[in-house]
Amino acid sequence: MATTSGTGTEFSGDLSAGFNAEGEDLAPGTGPWALAWRRLRRNKVALFFGGVFVVIVVLCLLAPVYAHDVAHTTASAEDITGTVKVGGKNVDIVSLTGIPIGPTWHSRYFLGADSNGRDTAVRLLYGGRNSLQIGVMATLITMVLALILGVVAGYFRGLADGFITRGLDVIWAFPALLLGITLGTVIAVGGIGPLKGSSLIVPAVIIGFVYIPYVAKPLRGQVLQLREREFIDAARQQGLTHTRIMFSEILPNVASTIIVFIPLILANAILLEAGLSYLGVGVEPPNPSWGNMISDGLTTIPEAFHNVLVPGIMLVLAVMSVNIFGDGLRDALDPRAKVRITR
Amino acid sequence: MNRRSRQAAAALLTVIVAVALSACGSSSSSSSSSSASSASSSTSTPSSSTSAKSVTLLMGTAPQSLDPGMDYTTQGAEPNWVTYTGLTTYRHANGAAGTQLIPGLATALPVISDGGKTYTVTLRKGLVFSNGKPVLASDFAYTVERSIKIPWGGSGQFITPVIVGGTAFSTGKAKTISGITTDNATGKIVIHLTAPYGPFDNVLAFPALGIIPAGTPFHNLPNSPPPGVGPYMTTNIVPNASFSSVINPEWSKMDIPGIPAGHVDVNVKISSNVSSNALSVLNNTADFFDWADTIPGSLLPQIHSQAADRFSQVNLGGSTYYIFLNVTKKPFSSQLAREAVVTGLNQDAMNRLGAGTLAPACYFLPPAVPGHPTGACPYGTPGTGNLAKAKALVQQSGMAGQPVTVWSETRSPRQQWMTYYTSFLNSIGFKATQKVIADATYFTTIGDLKLHPQTGFADWNQDFPNPVDFYGVLLDGKAILPTDNENFGETNDPYINSQVTALGATPTTQLSTVVSKWQALDQYVAKKAYVAVFGYQTFPKFTSNRINYGAIVFHSVYGWDFTSFQTK
Repeated sequence: MATTSGTGTEFSGDLSAGFNAEGEDLAPGTGPWALAWRRLRRNKVALFFGGVFVVIVVLCLLAPVYAHDVAHTTASAEDITGTVKVGGKNVDIVSLTGIPIGPTWHSRYFLGADSNGRDTAVRLLYGGRNSLQIGVMATLITMVLALILGVVAGYFRGLADGFITRGLDVIWAFPALLLGITLGTVIAVGGIGPLKGSSLIVPAVIIGFVYIPYVAKPLRGQVLQLREREFIDAARQQGLTHTRIMFSEILPNVASTIIVFIPLILANAILLEAGLSYLGVGVEPPNPSWGNMISDGLTTIPEAFHNVLVPGIMLVLAVMSVNIFGDGLRDALDPRAKVRITR
Repeated sequence: MNRRSRQAAAALLTVIVAVALSACGSSSSSSSSSSASSASSSTSTPSSSTSAKSVTLLMGTAPQSLDPGMDYTTQGAEPNWVTYTGLTTYRHANGAAGTQLIPGLATALPVISDGGKTYTVTLRKGLVFSNGKPVLASDFAYTVERSIKIPWGGSGQFITPVIVGGTAFSTGKAKTISGITTDNATGKIVIHLTAPYGPFDNVLAFPALGIIPAGTPFHNLPNSPPPGVGPYMTTNIVPNASFSSVINPEWSKMDIPGIPAGHVDVNVKISSNVSSNALSVLNNTADFFDWADTIPGSLLPQIHSQAADRFSQVNLGGSTYYIFLNVTKKPFSSQLAREAVVTGLNQDAMNRLGAGTLAPACYFLPPAVPGHPTGACPYGTPGTGNLAKAKALVQQSGMAGQPVTVWSETRSPRQQWMTYYTSFLNSIGFKATQKVIADATYFTTIGDLKLHPQTGFADWNQDFPNPVDFYGVLLDGKAILPTDNENFGETNDPYINSQVTALGATPTTQLSTVVSKWQALDQYVAKKAYVAVFGYQTFPKFTSNRINYGAIVFHSVYGWDFTSFQTK
């Protein structure tokens, strides 16, 4: 089956071929999903990093527990002029020259403080929660809208296709970060319709919107091929409605592509959120995110390097683990596919 | 020199570089312009740039332009102040003495007549530009015209609407400024104002009105600035990288009292890495750290221990950091709510966030500006703040739970200050969220009157030591503008308005007669809690060990005084 390319994304459209591409000895009746699961289980690296990601997610979900029961503070509670006992001595949380305390390795300020005297470990977990929440919401927005637009454009072609494709081209014409900054700045000042304020929905919608073409265009290409296949013709001749054909015939055939895209979009959404927050147009302070924590930490380098290092490591770990797991998922679902988002 | 100048400098640097590149790419255009600016050629001769004695100054931010007709930044004012002397200027002295106006190129301070609407001065005899050409009275009129046409950043506020005929000249309806008459034979210059404007003496001291030769092109000349009359002249300009202020050999021949000649040439290098700059000065590989830059807090302990005899944080007394409180919007339409902010604000915490560079404050006018009150603060001595009382005041005001949006810039420590302030507002009973705007667009954004920002960060560096520069722009009801508004709190108090109008007409040279009234006004503003002042900025006076530290003048208006630089 031919592959579509030329827009920064390549993928194989023939999934059924892919499922048996390695000529595996299949038990009679083994379904493609069972086969994919078998392949994924064999990919230990992908599973390990999938596990790492799960651990990160669990830790971040436990942020309120850690903050309340261990650190006894909140993500935005400041103590600029206070002290903490380290090695039997009272040490300024923030020095007279503005340098925050480093890791104490105790329950309070385990990973040190930031320049506003807030507990870095607590903010790291809450920041991760926010980053992951935004990533998941953005991915959901991207996938749902891209699926609708891609399928409608590919299936109906003609005017609908032209309209949708040109719209996607317009979005695609802007680098994702630049478009994110523009939208973030506009919304930060005056808002667009109901999108205003410091809610996490705002960066999620921005990021979700920015990535729509990266998924919708490959999907459209795949649907354009599928709609010419015999089983679609057969469905039409049986008198099925367009909606029914799209749901019952097209959608199942693009499902694995969608699944492969999810971790890739998630990883990119987390990265873009970090970038936007770093530049001040993502998560609004005092809400933490890994991006704005890195940005805040820059002012106290080199004395308080931990404030950049810790969220940076978490960001790399989270994105890398999602990416590697996503690669494993892609290999499992379609060993011949090459799905990459390039910018 | 106000806060916007430094931001504008960053943006304009790009333009300067672009202009420089285009000049490199087109030799014909640069040569064709040389005839028009023949007067300027003497200032950019590389061979004249070095001398046996020179010092190095490291600047974190480049001047907006080295052309005084364009520049409106603290960085540009440093060299331009001693390169382009105005009809009036300031004493070359530390502290409050440095705010005293003295005659510059005029024989005496202006004679003010016609109820404060006419200023008359006479040009000194024998004045020559740094290129040796004589200075004429008509050059002053030309200098003013050029600053309007370029336009210089302060012209729209201090010159165009102030001088009779300025607006007509600006809009092209007149070929000259009708309100300025000059006589080259006698050196007499008469300036007519549209209305009495007390600080006009100070306006005449701006480097932008430092006299330059007639015929200098009506556009920015950042790489070949025009010759001026002053102890120094600017040479060896490498855009965005370096320039030199070298001793003007013509100056010592003129013997103008109160304005000393320089001792050493000053080579200025521009490097945005202020940490590296501070280390270079600490290690004596450079001589001066620019006063307008901030030494990173992480280096302060090292500097204190290794260079205590050549470092200090000095309160120049011309700059105020404050939080504006919009009196037209809840909750700060309530005086009790405003009092709660002023009462509970922890200035010690904010000082730490500012790496210990803030001097405690409660009055709007900073110490070096006449009219700064000396009495006790109305809501307690600035320090840790009284959180319990602040909470009680919020309850009394009936504004508890009110949503508040705190506006802030991204740059440190301003964002950290507003993050603390947001947290503080929440702790005393409001429901505050922070809105962070990019530095380049922050003041334009909150200056849009339609936005009606509730509260947020603001600051002001004096353009000149006169309270009108603060009140006339920042708290006078007449200063509320639909765009580029600086009265962010939309303060429109009839008492303030009437006092600013009445006191603002008093010439700077007679300010002492109304100082007590300005003090009373400033105390009134503090009592009404129209703004929450949280500190006066202190600036680093930091040199290498080969500099005669004790001899340096750290000027309250212009910072480093190049004429005081001496090696040991």
